[in-house]
Amino acid sequence: MGNLIVRRVAQMLLIMLTVSLLLFAIFDSDQFREKAAVAELGGFGVATLSDSDYHQWLEKKGLTAPFLSRYGRWLGAILHGDLGQSTEKDIEVSVLLRESLANTAILAFFVFLIMIPVSLTLGVLAGMNAGSPLDRVISIVAVFTTSIPQIATAVLLTVLLALGLGWVPAKSAMTDGWSFRALVLPLLTLLLYDIGYLVRMTRAAMTEVMASQYIRTAVLKGLPYRRVILRHALRNALIVPVTLIFLELNGLLSQVVVVEVFFQYAGFGRMLFDAANFGDIQVLQAATLVAVCVAVGSQLLSDAAYVVLNPRVRV
Amino acid sequence: MIEHALLPKLCDQLRDGSISRREFIRFAALLGVAAGAAYAMAGLSAPAMADSTLPFPAAEPGAKRGGKLRIGEMVARMEDPATYGWNEMANQTRPILEYLTLVGPDNVVRPMLVESWKPSADLKTWTLQVRSGVMWHNGEELTAEHVAWNIRRWSDPALGSSNLGLSTFAALTEYSGEKDSKGQAVRRPLKNGVEVIDSHALRLNLAKPVLSVAEDCGEFCTLVVHPSFKPPLSRNPIGTGPYTLAELRVSDRCILKRITKTTDGRDFRYWGGEVYLDEIHFYHYEQENQTAALASGSVDAIYELPVEQIELARSIPGAKILSVETAQTLCCRMQVDVKPFNDIRVRRAVVKAADNAAIKKLVFGEHGLAASNFHVAPVHPEYFPLPPVARDVAGAKQLLREAGYDNGIDLEIVVGNNDGPWQQAACEALRDQVKEAGINLAVTVVPATKFWEIWRKVPFGATSWAHRPLGTMALAQAYRTGASWNESHFSDPEFDQALADAEATFDVAARKLKMQKVERILQDAAVVVQPMWRPVFILASVKVHGYQAHPARQMQLNKVWLS
Amino acid sequence: MNSRVMMLLALVWLPLCAYVMFRPALGALGSYVLLPAIPAVIALYVLALRSWRESWVAILGVSLVCFWLLMAVSAPYLPLLDPNKPLVPLITPGGTGHGALFLLGSDMRGRDVLSRTIWGCQRVLVWGITATSVAYVVGAGGGLIGGYLGGWWDEFVSFAGNVLLSFPVMVLFILVLNLLGQSGFNIIIAVTCSSAPVIMRIVRGLALDAKSRDYIQAAQTRGEHPLWIMLVELLPNVRGPIIVDACLRLGYTTVAITTLTFLGLGLQPPDPDWGLMIKESATAALLWKYSYMLIAPALSVSSLILGFNLIADGLREMSARD
Repeated sequence: MGNLIVRRVAQMLLIMLTVSLLLFAIFDSDQFREKAAVAELGGFGVATLSDSDYHQWLEKKGLTAPFLSRYGRWLGAILHGDLGQSTEKDIEVSVLLRESLANTAILAFFVFLIMIPVSLTLGVLAGMNAGSPLDRVISIVAVFTTSIPQIATAVLLTVLLALGLGWVPAKSAMTDGWSFRALVLPLLTLLLYDIGYLVRMTRAAMTEVMASQYIRTAVLKGLPYRRVILRHALRNALIVPVTLIFLELNGLLSQVVVVEVFFQYAGFGRMLFDAANFGDIQVLQAATLVAVCVAVGSQLLSDAAYVVLNPRVRV
Repeated sequence: MIEHALLPKLCDQLRDGSISRREFIRFAALLGVAAGAAYAMAGLSAPAMADSTLPFPAAEPGAKRGGKLRIGEMVARMEDPATYGWNEMANQTRPILEYLTLVGPDNVVRPMLVESWKPSADLKTWTLQVRSGVMWHNGEELTAEHVAWNIRRWSDPALGSSNLGLSTFAALTEYSGEKDSKGQAVRRPLKNGVEVIDSHALRLNLAKPVLSVAEDCGEFCTLVVHPSFKPPLSRNPIGTGPYTLAELRVSDRCILKRITKTTDGRDFRYWGGEVYLDEIHFYHYEQENQTAALASGSVDAIYELPVEQIELARSIPGAKILSVETAQTLCCRMQVDVKPFNDIRVRRAVVKAADNAAIKKLVFGEHGLAASNFHVAPVHPEYFPLPPVARDVAGAKQLLREAGYDNGIDLEIVVGNNDGPWQQAACEALRDQVKEAGINLAVTVVPATKFWEIWRKVPFGATSWAHRPLGTMALAQAYRTGASWNESHFSDPEFDQALADAEATFDVAARKLKMQKVERILQDAAVVVQPMWRPVFILASVKVHGYQAHPARQMQLNKVWLS
Repeated sequence: MNSRVMMLLALVWLPLCAYVMFRPALGALGSYVLLPAIPAVIALYVLALRSWRESWVAILGVSLVCFWLLMAVSAPYLPLLDPNKPLVPLITPGGTGHGALFLLGSDMRGRDVLSRTIWGCQRVLVWGITATSVAYVVGAGGGLIGGYLGGWWDEFVSFAGNVLLSFPVMVLFILVLNLLGQSGFNIIIAVTCSSAPVIMRIVRGLALDAKSRDYIQAAQTRGEHPLWIMLVELLPNVRGPIIVDACLRLGYTTVAITTLTFLGLGLQPPDPDWGLMIKESATAALLWKYSYMLIAPALSVSSLILGFNLIADGLREMSARD
């Protein structure tokens, strides 16, 4: 187990290095430099600057040094904890990153808080009674909700809850300070999709386990049904869903981009989207590295959970 | 006050009807006549002003002090007011810093930090009288030296301020005779352009006659800063306005609080009289989300209401829609030195195949005004109405055939939607119209930020031009030979001469005639398809009083109060 | 998958691609190129009905998908109004105009919603299917190379896959599309970057497993070329799970394309596209009376994705029963 972790962490560092090099190379082109200039001075400003002034500005920003030296300098800065300055928002990247990650973490916390019990329960119930009307209803609803793209649910929920009934604010920009009501819409949008997905996976795992030999044997032996379920079936059925829950951390980072942009919630996804559109390179690099960290970390947790939970697998 | 020599002539023209009363008021104000007096001379009652010396509207009876106004707009950085790129930056700064003059929603210019201005007869020498008793946030008093420092800064080409595009500040520079690496002539400030006479008076000695000095001093980049200013403004904003910056987080929020004490502990006295709001909060909302935010009650007013959301806005209880006609437009301009547009027949074909009135109706419905491709608007005082361009598809086809395109021609227009999706809607309408003449127009939409990188390079582009109070201002910046924003590379010495002539003419009737020549040249050259003048809408809760729509979307919040 | 099905699929997919991606190059041929596809779709549907008779879930799914395929290939021939042209004299902009002429009303710019919905499915289907297919080709190729050839090839391919897998999907899309620009072809590249590593892992695992089987070793003894072995011996034996995965992946890709267009990063206007329609109606639909502008594209894209999901579920059910 410890071996697995060490290997994975080493791989993660190697991947992060590769990714950062790639990103740096991509954003080193002239077009991005001019983009940064336009972003700071405005389109008109760059036009009225003469060539020598433009070069002076570039030098002042340190954008004319050779590639490897800039990369090295950046790498050194990162290791000291200095992630640079956001050209768009004019604050330090570390501050921006910390705040937006915190916001997304709050959203993720509530998503997991509600999603895990609800979807596991529904999935187990559906799987236990495979073929029954309850199972049919749960399955149909689950497959429906995973088929609607989150952009459509976002708009529909806004129409119904925010503007129609007026229960919640339409956008989550938290203008009057933090309030849970402003989180409701992004939360529901994420939950509708994620719960459906997890229910389907849990149900599939549960039906497979329920149909397996040893469960049938246990029932035939006369063990009480409930004990059979709780002691034996669940333990095995939940292996796959639990590993999926860890992977959901990674999936959430993707889903959260759309949801946060639409609802104007100041989280990680929105920061990434704004930075990519604007060409805010420092933010983009830092954000991508964090995303890579989260992805590899969640895969690691997922694999570790699988090893721990599955008695048949020993690494 | 000594009357300007040209004023009697203006009065004559008003009397015999060659200019309208609105035009009279505008020109009189430009010449230094107090707005109230100008309105009176024209026989109209002036909009109630708080005081005849103040540029702010009078507050309604029952105005209450206190409260926080929440505005939904895109929150931008505040670096250097002279190089501001977005209007939002200026809106956030207007409660903190102020202008020398204020252009109201009625396009009449009123004194702000300068209390009067007097041009010489030849319009080349202007004497500005600085208002006395204006306190800076650090306790100092505003002097002419401070104003001169600012003006010198705006007219310094090394700063790269867009103010250089305004006639006044361009006229404070001269060519140094050298050329830079791009081959463009280098400018430098005039030696004695700005002359301080005493503690509250200064004189501008311009290189050319300029009529619009007062107006130029109210443009959005001409906010007056303290001479100790170093960018970024957000770090240490010292201004003359009644508010100061409490917090700025770009793309998040900008909080302004009313000042009661100066930085050295004395009481701060605002020269502009009573100010009602305690705090002004700007919250970042993307343009398309602002109406929804107001509907939910997250904000009390928004920056702009896009025309597609008017129905939604009407359905919000407790909100009111305010609108104003502007000189803001979309220029689908063709570069006259690039194939195929270098052939005037092709350009004329495109213009003839378009139906401006239909495009306007499609995009703005009953609002807005149709335009006729010469970039001077009916709201401009020197507007000379030319007959509208009639749609002529057969004629367009004929012209194309003559130019050698028997089977039609493939063109591409690039639009950046920097002012909203209505630009794209207009281009698409244009595309459908010119298709009938055999022109296959492909509409390429690029993100707004990318558009600013390429807007002057594309052969056929759709640029949104902001509102300018005078018709000659846009023409000077866009169509004069070699002007920095001449995106169509239009160069006609006859046009330049006629424009310079019109700019130097004060006599309104004569000016209009001269503008007729200018407009005709531009229209005949078929440089641009300019379908309409757009209206501007804003939305506010009924609790907000005194919030007015301005054609250049300038927010003036000093006399706004919340009930 | 026998050759008849392959041929029918090609008959549907190739004309659709040609029509959507290369229409200017086709010229006059453009109006006829989709005709052979219509009977092909119907034939496919009949085949599917017969072979998947026992699973009503799969039948429902394939009905939905074939419905949209039929709409996509027959769109030019249906009596539809021009999807891009606002019908100004008939209705004012921002109008609703229900009635005989507009079965689904018009959108905020006066364009017919029904027509835009039907034309919209062409783009989604073509780019979605093409992108997924390219991802499969690349991923399967990488997996086969890594699994079968082993050694340095395996290390390199696996590492590249891991690097790509380390990005959350949306982050990858945003980076690739911002870098390369926004067009359908770049979406193909982006989808490939995000899907191919997963496919590669699956195929690699299957290849590693199959490498030790008898029939592979027999082919090796015969002296067959490795490429031939990979394609002819190996691939057909792993097709079951791959088809199920393919259907699910088609669903994900459709969501991705719609979402990207919604964010402004995907296919560009003005041509109709469901994501674009949802975006344009997002503010207008806040009023109840305009909500149909949102419901039409939302329902369409949901039904298509539902179709893919149901096919996958049905196939899994059927293989579990065997």
